[in-house]
Amino acid sequence: MIKFEHVSKTYPNGVKGLQDINLEIQDGEFIGIIGMSGAGKSTLIRTINRLNDITEGQLTVDGVEISGLKGKSLRQYRRKVGMIFQSYNLVPRISVIKNVLSSLVPDMPIMRVMFGLFSKEDKIKALEALDRVSMLDKAFVRTDQLSGGQQQRVSLARTLAQNPSVLLADEPVAALDPVTAHEVMDDFKRINEELGQTVLINIHHVDLALEYSKRIIGIRSGKIVYDGPVSGITKDILDLIYSKDGADK
Amino acid sequence: MKLYDKLFDAEKFTLTNGKTVSQKFTRMPLIILMLLIGITVSVWVTGFSLTMLFTNITGFWQILASMFPPKLSYFFQVWRPLLMTIQMSFFGSFFGSLMALPFAVLAASNITNNRVINLVVRFILTVVRTIPTLVSALIATYIFGLGTFAGTVAIFLFSFSFVGKQLFEYIETVDMGAYEALTATGADTPRAFVTTIFPQILPTYLSTALFAFEGNVRYAAILGYVGAGGIGMILNEKIGWREFQSVGMILLSIFVAVVIIETVSQQLRKYLS
Amino acid sequence: MNKKLETVLSKEPSRRVQYSITGAILLILLVSSSPALGGANMTSKGFEIGWNILTGIFTPDTSLLFGLGDSGVAYLILQTIAIAFLGTLVGAVIAVPLSFISATNIVPRPVVLVTRFIIMAIRTVPSLVYGLMFIRVTGPGPFAGVMTLAIVSIGMISKLFIETIEDLDTGILESLDAFGSTLFQKIRYGILPQLGSDFISILVYRFDMNLREATILGLVGAGGIGAPMIFALSAYHWHQVGAILIGLFLLVFIVEILSDKLRQKILHG
Ligand SMILES: Nc1ncnc2c1ncn2[C@@H]1O[C@H](COP(=O)(O)OP(=O)(O)OP(=O)(O)O)[C@@H](O)[C@H]1O
Ligand SMILES: [Mg+2]
Repeated sequence: MIKFEHVSKTYPNGVKGLQDINLEIQDGEFIGIIGMSGAGKSTLIRTINRLNDITEGQLTVDGVEISGLKGKSLRQYRRKVGMIFQSYNLVPRISVIKNVLSSLVPDMPIMRVMFGLFSKEDKIKALEALDRVSMLDKAFVRTDQLSGGQQQRVSLARTLAQNPSVLLADEPVAALDPVTAHEVMDDFKRINEELGQTVLINIHHVDLALEYSKRIIGIRSGKIVYDGPVSGITKDILDLIYSKDGADK
Repeated sequence: MKLYDKLFDAEKFTLTNGKTVSQKFTRMPLIILMLLIGITVSVWVTGFSLTMLFTNITGFWQILASMFPPKLSYFFQVWRPLLMTIQMSFFGSFFGSLMALPFAVLAASNITNNRVINLVVRFILTVVRTIPTLVSALIATYIFGLGTFAGTVAIFLFSFSFVGKQLFEYIETVDMGAYEALTATGADTPRAFVTTIFPQILPTYLSTALFAFEGNVRYAAILGYVGAGGIGMILNEKIGWREFQSVGMILLSIFVAVVIIETVSQQLRKYLS
Repeated sequence: MNKKLETVLSKEPSRRVQYSITGAILLILLVSSSPALGGANMTSKGFEIGWNILTGIFTPDTSLLFGLGDSGVAYLILQTIAIAFLGTLVGAVIAVPLSFISATNIVPRPVVLVTRFIIMAIRTVPSLVYGLMFIRVTGPGPFAGVMTLAIVSIGMISKLFIETIEDLDTGILESLDAFGSTLFQKIRYGILPQLGSDFISILVYRFDMNLREATILGLVGAGGIGAPMIFALSAYHWHQVGAILIGLFLLVFIVEILSDKLRQKILHG
């Protein structure tokens, strides 16, 4: 369970990324986070993985206050929380399977990491992850030869290989065409249903968010303005989330 | 420059439709004036004289001509020191480049998040780089004694600082996305660096090291002049004894060796990029 | 399921052979280069000298470092700069025509092959050899240094000039032709503006390198800051060595920063 209590985040330059966020996320939920550009979607998701630190409030995951985590305990925590980025963030020059394997290096002795010596079990693990996103046949292809959609799948496989209990995805389909976007979203959905992982996705496209999520969180100017089931989303609420003016009424 | 612009008014053009465009007064006279001063001072300080050059230049051509034809049989004395020069260059370049990697990582602010460490390491690289190789070779002969080892040390230091600087600047331009993704999976800095940054910098790293090696072979030829081993020793000796045909042979050998090494190395670098 | 993965895994391309060969070659090269380590003969005296040089740097001879006379560091630096400056200019004067007759878009291929061979040959001769040769022409002193640097600069300057010339945008010449320009006008308005800033930036870069070269010319008696350093070293005057090394470091460091700035300005306005 992920729990935000009065969480705020102020960037060093004074920008308020998040303001007084209160949230409770149960295991196995599929949540879509929507909001305008600059609303704070990325900030919200990145605080859960501690890529951003919060400045106020409490953020607990499975009862552990995560802002207190440091060094080794922080890295262990991150093993459980997978993150997927809009820009895939793969190493282009190496093979697909090497990219997937890279999520296993935190648990490996440094010498093995240096020489890229992965065990057969690790390789099987990586191939399984690739199989889940139907990319098995591309395992030994160089990553920069793949299309954007394929790269996003590899990035998803990389996260799956680390076997996290929570999947965070920051606009994973923003750079993809509608058909490919649906395919990648289907992957997320299947993983959520088959493996029971909690999924939090930032999405620009409201349609996609409504189609795939069970719960929607609407953010504007760093505050939550809607938090509830998809069925509760009305035109007025969308207007509230997306209207240009009257940000802080 | 501000004063100069004040002294000479900018030129204003008024177009027929009333708009004005102003152009700063040309800097050309100032640049030419500074160049002239620079040349005058330099000529005065160095005692440069065209007349002396043209009356005495025949001496230069005479020495050059006396190198031909190179004394081919002398090659049997040349190849050993030449090989030694190449060995020094290879050894020094190899270990210098190897040593440069950890220092470059420490100097790169996107990987090592500590301003003090960044600056200290950069300062070390800069100090080492500013000392001319021949000077460090000379100092090395005082410390380690005459011989190839001193030359190897000098080449090592140069390669270390050169590759170190190039590499850390390159690391700072590398795409950090994959690195961040690995951090998000819970990898620590060394593991994240090795798996995501290293594959990206590897071709540039190797190619910079090869480039340093190419330059070093050329440069190592003069290290013998300060007693730091290699072909420079006999070169110095033969010039001193005015055996110019042998000098010609030495130069010819260096030329051939450099051409071969550069060709191979450039081919390798092309393959890398 | 597992069967399927196993078959995919068995198709993994093996790089083992490639890696082993590369590793073996490197190892052989390294081992066969190990004679380079010969002659290491570090005695306690060497250690002492190293220590003396270090202390010399931290306690430099201040009268030499700040002295304004003919033997002071300031004058030596001025002389070194002057050598590098004139050397670069003279080198450029020789390199410009040489580059034009080595550019494939100006002269035919066979000519290019010959001139490039000559440039390559000029480049191979070590600077100290030129230094020794020029001393026969000009006598020892900074003048010999200027000529030496001029010659050793030719190789790199013309190599870079040639690249610039071959990158010339000939479209501009055509449009000038269309205006009915004369040959002189074409060179003045079509070619020079394109080459000018690149040429100057190349020269600034070479000046920076020549400055480093100029610091070692003293070894053969061709002037610059190198000569007094050799004297100081061989006479074991460590404080003087320290003073000169500091001057050398400051000189090279400052000029490097300035030349980087200048080239940025020239190339990017
Ligand atoms: N590193 C940073 N330093 C300072 N301000 C930041 C930083 N990152 C984000 N911000 C600011 O925080 C606010 C929220 O940004 P965030 O990236 O979370 O928005 P977003 O909802 O993800 O937008 P988008 O849809 O464009 O990705 C913005 O005003 C942004 O300018
Ligand atoms: Mg965002």
